[in-house]
Amino acid sequence: MSRRPSRGVKLTLYGLMLVLAVPFVFPTWWMVTSSFKPVSDIFAFPPKLVPTTWQFDAYRQVFELQPFARQYLNSMYIALIVTIGTLAIASLSGYAFARIRFRGQNLLFLLVLTGLLIPSEVTIVPLFQMFFKAGLIDTHWPLILVPILGAPSVLATFIMRQFFISLPVELDEAARVDGLGRFATYWRIALPLARPALGAVAIFTFLHSWNLYLEPIVFLSTPEKFTLPQALTQFVDAYGGPMWNIQLAAGTLTALPVLVVFVLAQKQFVEGLARTGLKG
Amino acid sequence: MAARTDSVAGLAGAQPTPGWAPATRPPFWTTRRRDHLAGYLFIAPQLIGCAVFVIAPLALVVWYSLHEWNVLAGTFTYVGADNYRALVNDPQLPGVLRATGLFSVGLVVFNLSLALLLAVLLNQRLRGTVVFRTVFFSPVVVSLVAWTIVWGFLLQDNGGINALLRVVGIDGPNWLRGGATAMVSVIVVQVFKNVGLNMVLFLAALQGVPAELYEAADIDGAGRMRQFWRITVPLISPTILLTSIITVIGSLQVFAQIAVLTQGGPGTSTTVLVYYLYQQAFQFHHFGYGSTLSILLFVIVLVLTVLQWQMRKRWVFHES
Amino acid sequence: MKVRKALRVTAAALAGLLALSACGSGGDKAEDGRVSLRVTVWTANEAHLALFNEIADEYKKSHSNITEIKFDPLPFDSYTTTLTTQIAGGNAPDLAWVFENSAPDFVSSGALVPLDETLKKTEGYEYDDLAPATLTLWQADGKLYAYPFSTSPFGVFVNTDLLKQAGQQTPAELIAAGKWNWETVLAVASAVNAKTGKAGMVIRDFDYKGWDNLSTFFTGWGAQAWSADGKTCGFNAPEMVDAMTTLHKAIFTDKAMPGPGTTADFFAGEAAMTVTQISRASLLKDDGFAWDLVPLPAGPKGEYAVVGQAGIGVLKQSKHVDEALDFLAFMTNPANSAKLAQFFPPPRQSLLTAETLAKTNPKLSQEQLQRVVIDGIKTGVVKPSHSGQAELAQQVRAALDPLWQPGADVKAVLDGVCSAIQPLLAK
Repeated sequence: MSRRPSRGVKLTLYGLMLVLAVPFVFPTWWMVTSSFKPVSDIFAFPPKLVPTTWQFDAYRQVFELQPFARQYLNSMYIALIVTIGTLAIASLSGYAFARIRFRGQNLLFLLVLTGLLIPSEVTIVPLFQMFFKAGLIDTHWPLILVPILGAPSVLATFIMRQFFISLPVELDEAARVDGLGRFATYWRIALPLARPALGAVAIFTFLHSWNLYLEPIVFLSTPEKFTLPQALTQFVDAYGGPMWNIQLAAGTLTALPVLVVFVLAQKQFVEGLARTGLKG
Repeated sequence: MAARTDSVAGLAGAQPTPGWAPATRPPFWTTRRRDHLAGYLFIAPQLIGCAVFVIAPLALVVWYSLHEWNVLAGTFTYVGADNYRALVNDPQLPGVLRATGLFSVGLVVFNLSLALLLAVLLNQRLRGTVVFRTVFFSPVVVSLVAWTIVWGFLLQDNGGINALLRVVGIDGPNWLRGGATAMVSVIVVQVFKNVGLNMVLFLAALQGVPAELYEAADIDGAGRMRQFWRITVPLISPTILLTSIITVIGSLQVFAQIAVLTQGGPGTSTTVLVYYLYQQAFQFHHFGYGSTLSILLFVIVLVLTVLQWQMRKRWVFHES
Repeated sequence: MKVRKALRVTAAALAGLLALSACGSGGDKAEDGRVSLRVTVWTANEAHLALFNEIADEYKKSHSNITEIKFDPLPFDSYTTTLTTQIAGGNAPDLAWVFENSAPDFVSSGALVPLDETLKKTEGYEYDDLAPATLTLWQADGKLYAYPFSTSPFGVFVNTDLLKQAGQQTPAELIAAGKWNWETVLAVASAVNAKTGKAGMVIRDFDYKGWDNLSTFFTGWGAQAWSADGKTCGFNAPEMVDAMTTLHKAIFTDKAMPGPGTTADFFAGEAAMTVTQISRASLLKDDGFAWDLVPLPAGPKGEYAVVGQAGIGVLKQSKHVDEALDFLAFMTNPANSAKLAQFFPPPRQSLLTAETLAKTNPKLSQEQLQRVVIDGIKTGVVKPSHSGQAELAQQVRAALDPLWQPGADVKAVLDGVCSAIQPLLAK
């Protein structure tokens, strides 16, 4: 359906898209504007789409009540390390499964795929015990090692494998003719071509790590070590009632930078996803 | 390997390169063996990682499920299949499974339909679709907990959504407190968060459908809807299958939204299997029984995935 | 060979990583006798924490081997879960606060260290000063496993400004006229809501989830969640049915209390009255609305009081049990108990006089302290508690949910609660 629609149809389509866009945009809009409102205004009726009085107090309190800057940094650096690590491991594995013939590879691939089927809640208790015996509770190691080496990176491997399968076999042959070993072929030929897939994997992986909720709650107990999703739920008053405006301010701080980066880079990202070969 | 050698010879002009032609005595590390080794080494980190962080914990979970583990008292006693018997007899389990089923089905249907609808809309060559594409995708990058907290706050009886409804004269229900509306609310929150991902995949698939097919259909006089069902859907069926597998698996793992929005309530209407597992293991401290539930969850995911994968022979138009 | 070299480098790095991780530890290991203690609490209130740190600093002065005493606030509504998960993972704190509703589980579990000996032999502790009635919940086999540092009666905070605005009588006037009972209170609350749109009465921390806080209401009808021995369900007894019917009407018909999903914070001026513990007095602003603190209204069965308790115990898993015990004895000695009394009424009889409490409680008048706190502790019934508390509470909560709808059949729902929890009570 890629022909130009008529004018009437065009208007209907635009209208439909506008209506559909509301639930996507409204919550973010509400979050941002409410974070600047005094608490009493947030629940006001009729609802105020734009704050009548702008208060920045909630933002100040976000940093006062928790080591929020530190937590932001935590989420950021953990996600970065996990992304780089996953890219390395997944591209290596994906390349090997796609291009190298070795005995038992199908069986091993299936074995690796089981990681996709296991929800993290299922393995969290034994993982906790393991890390506890290694003395790594309340550190960031579980949040780094498990995503890179465990279940979450399996999807990345799958995507990379799909992509490498779609590369022409002649590339490998030509590389071999030039005397390149396997690793060099991977490093110098296959990997540079894999940019769209790598980009998509990077974004998936970053977002997954950025959004981890259960794992930080289970593994971390010191506020300075918390990550953002965990920190967001801690903005409660002394007796457990949510402090709405502060929570919304923290939520805005969490969401906006990533959103901005996405808006700027979305063309690359969307196209990268499309070209991963996930289509088939 | 033989086929490869042939094609190399063909490429290089029938001149075998050194290293490929056997010497008087073949070295141990033939290219084939080196290749094998490279293969194993490349996958080694992932494989070891999976063994340590996926297989081993799974085995441990099976081990725990055979014990009664009282955390506070510090006892860990072997009870054999007792936990599994308790599972079969658990009066709450049917309700949990029903909630899980309703949730997953609702989520998958809503998610895939909406994703397809949005993708079709975006594929219409209208101006400014890039803006809409960004809008529809934006919740994917917003933090999950932030998104859920904002929705929780909007869904309150005196929150933003009901306030808007009141403006047009509708008295909105207490979204998170009514049995059915609570489930619907959680589904809607989750779908709007992630539908952008499926939408992009569908969009890519749609763009891969050759325009000539539609033109030919136009000439034959087929209407839009017919073209959609007869041309579009079959051609993007591999994508539909893939997204449905991923979405089904994902739907069985939805935890944070339920924890933040409804805590499994009202009553137990939104207590899906993953949340029930969390309650048993982490709130009531029945780690042994919680492990049993984990195994059940794993089995369900495995069965559903295998089923869907088998269905590809029937439903998918052609395999790539 | 390139692959081999890459492999060697990777292996070395991995080995180094694992070695590092094995050596590195998250907790403190006592080197050369230096000790740091961690105490989990559920309050993040600045005033509370400042007081605790003040006491801790004084302790450190005379105990140079203690380098740090850290008060670790865990989130209030998942406190017990988080604490138990820490214990399960072997990451237990040295000392921990315990809610009264999880006291039976903790006390009987063996997770806590008995306190009697340490407390009794601490100089100047005056163990006999502790009121026996306050200790029962925390004892097993004749030993005390946690010290009830706070026996906090529930009272009613009232926003007298808001009441006057709605043209209602103040509690002081109602008490003088002998009309301070739930019937009157609910009528007043309903009127406030009708006149000002603000909430009339809020039972704090209930929020249609924390049902044990409803004991501040239904005790007035002589109802109880379960029998004293914990074996019989009390939810479908006639007294409870009466109480819940009244409550249901107050919420859904008279709009005296906010319905489910509506938040109203008394201390932010959104409600006229609230039932809560006196430790919340710290939330009152000096320049805010005019307020009063009065005892709970009488129910059909007469006057009554309800108390919540909080205990503090030493975990057996702690690596510094002796130091933790010593600190606990210090923190709860007569002098410090008096300091803590401004937020946490101690079980010490000598301190439970209006003059003493008033010294450290600048916000409350002596009369308020006498009527609400002291009398409340003497006669108060403790909030419901039972072994297997987490699961039981969750079952009750889930079974009660159908009640919070406008047309609910109170008796049927309560019957449902009992059938849901009877198997658990029998354990």
